[in-house]
Amino acid sequence: MTTLLDIRNLSAVFPGRRRREPVRALSGLTLTLERGESLSVIGESGSGKTTLMRCILGHVLPSEGSITLFGQDTASADGPEMTALRRRCAMVSQDPYGSLPPTLTVLEAAMEPWLLVRGKHDEKEGEERARNLLGELGLRDEAILSSRVRLSLSGGQRQRVAIARALILDPELLLCDEPTSMQDASTRGEIIEILAKRQRSGMSMIFVTHDLFLARKAAPRGIVLHKGTVVEEGFCRDILSAPKHPYTRALVAALPRLGKLPGQESCKPETN
Amino acid sequence: MIDIRNLSVTYGRMTSEGRGSQAAAVKNVSMTIRKGQFSALAGESGSGKSTVLMAIPGLLPPGTAVSGEILLDGKNLLALPENDLNRIRWRRIAIVPQGAMNSFTPVLTVGHHVEEVLSVHLGLSRKEALERIPSLFDLAGLDGELARRYPNELSGGQKQRAAIALALACSPDYLLCDEPTTALDVITQQGIIATLKNLVEKKGLGLLLISHDLPLAASVADRLHILKDGELVEEGDPAEITARPRNPHTRALVKALLDLEEGS
Repeated sequence: MTTLLDIRNLSAVFPGRRRREPVRALSGLTLTLERGESLSVIGESGSGKTTLMRCILGHVLPSEGSITLFGQDTASADGPEMTALRRRCAMVSQDPYGSLPPTLTVLEAAMEPWLLVRGKHDEKEGEERARNLLGELGLRDEAILSSRVRLSLSGGQRQRVAIARALILDPELLLCDEPTSMQDASTRGEIIEILAKRQRSGMSMIFVTHDLFLARKAAPRGIVLHKGTVVEEGFCRDILSAPKHPYTRALVAALPRLGKLPGQESCKPETN
Repeated sequence: MIDIRNLSVTYGRMTSEGRGSQAAAVKNVSMTIRKGQFSALAGESGSGKSTVLMAIPGLLPPGTAVSGEILLDGKNLLALPENDLNRIRWRRIAIVPQGAMNSFTPVLTVGHHVEEVLSVHLGLSRKEALERIPSLFDLAGLDGELARRYPNELSGGQKQRAAIALALACSPDYLLCDEPTTALDVITQQGIIATLKNLVEKKGLGLLLISHDLPLAASVADRLHILKDGELVEEGDPAEITARPRNPHTRALVKALLDLEEGS
């Protein structure tokens, strides 16, 4: 196996606004990802998971430490080199309202990355790919494909358009930031399955979520981020069944589970 | 008891072409909310959950066609004039609307919001209102000192608790909460749910929780209702529904969730 991503001792500090203290979003984070491997990043708001994604893509510069992406140190990559690295990755951002071009139709939005990278002459193939992807994601209706993103698209539908955009260029590394937060339970499973199919054919994925169950479904291995540091890492199933760190234990205990309702077992949600 | 009988709600709406059209949001829903009971209404987005909630205190937009009955201790709220409804809102039935934590006026302290409600609805003076705030905040699980802070100085969880304190201002018998824990971390979420449960068990409030999160709703409610496309498809004890869902939609939903939990 070759190493796809190697992060060493990464810290990201944002200067404090006005007279506030600087914000340490990440500190001393180390992780490696082999080609074809996937990782879940479990963390709640403020844990630093989004900053981690942005650091990988070079949108946030590390204050300390190094990131090696596809064998190249991102700190030493110049503009065109960084662009080339980014093109081998794709990101599904947390907010499907802010991350999609509002004036394009659904089909155009899904095709856009393809056209930008491949140019106009490959338009036909781009459209075909976009249609296939959107169809796979449950957006087949011609009326939806030709309607503008800004109008009449639910949050869940927007997220699916964002996923289609991310997959259209066959990325080697997919960064997903809570990509299914607005989906209904049944659709969520289908989307994870689509992503799993891509993983089986060689795509690596970093899947950021606050949902431990989803993390386990998305990738076997996971890290738990809390206030910018990795508090636990290992197989997601072990993190769920035997959490070690006090924070992870609290997180696991707070998960509402349909399989453990008060009436079924003596497992009432703890109050603390 | 709030007894909802055959409630149907149809919104009048304009299409993008400017023509009027009708959208049935809630169809023939019957359910009860009892004092001392924790009821939950779960369903996907767009299933009509919020419409049911807003129909109870008569807060649906003008031009909405509502039929059926909503009986509060036998009195039909749908037939009451606005003035009478105003005496029921806050004092008998209070709501924590969706996104309440983000709808505080930024230039007023959190406590000021509570004072305003007490002054408008109960005619209390500022001094009397201020005396009540610590106990109200305490009920919602908040330090009374936070009343002096501005909304942006509170965390999301604290703001949500402040919204609950606000709803409790006039000591209502029923509290209707629309997605009160959405967008909050699970640990914070669990604390707020525990506070709501406490209001039911210790204060005897009748509570309706609306949530798209079925495991959350099922884990806390005494009685669970599931809404799908405006219709009530399942109703009963949460453990019973989870073990033996009758409706195909609920069955698929429960299966998807249990599969995710079990990791298969």
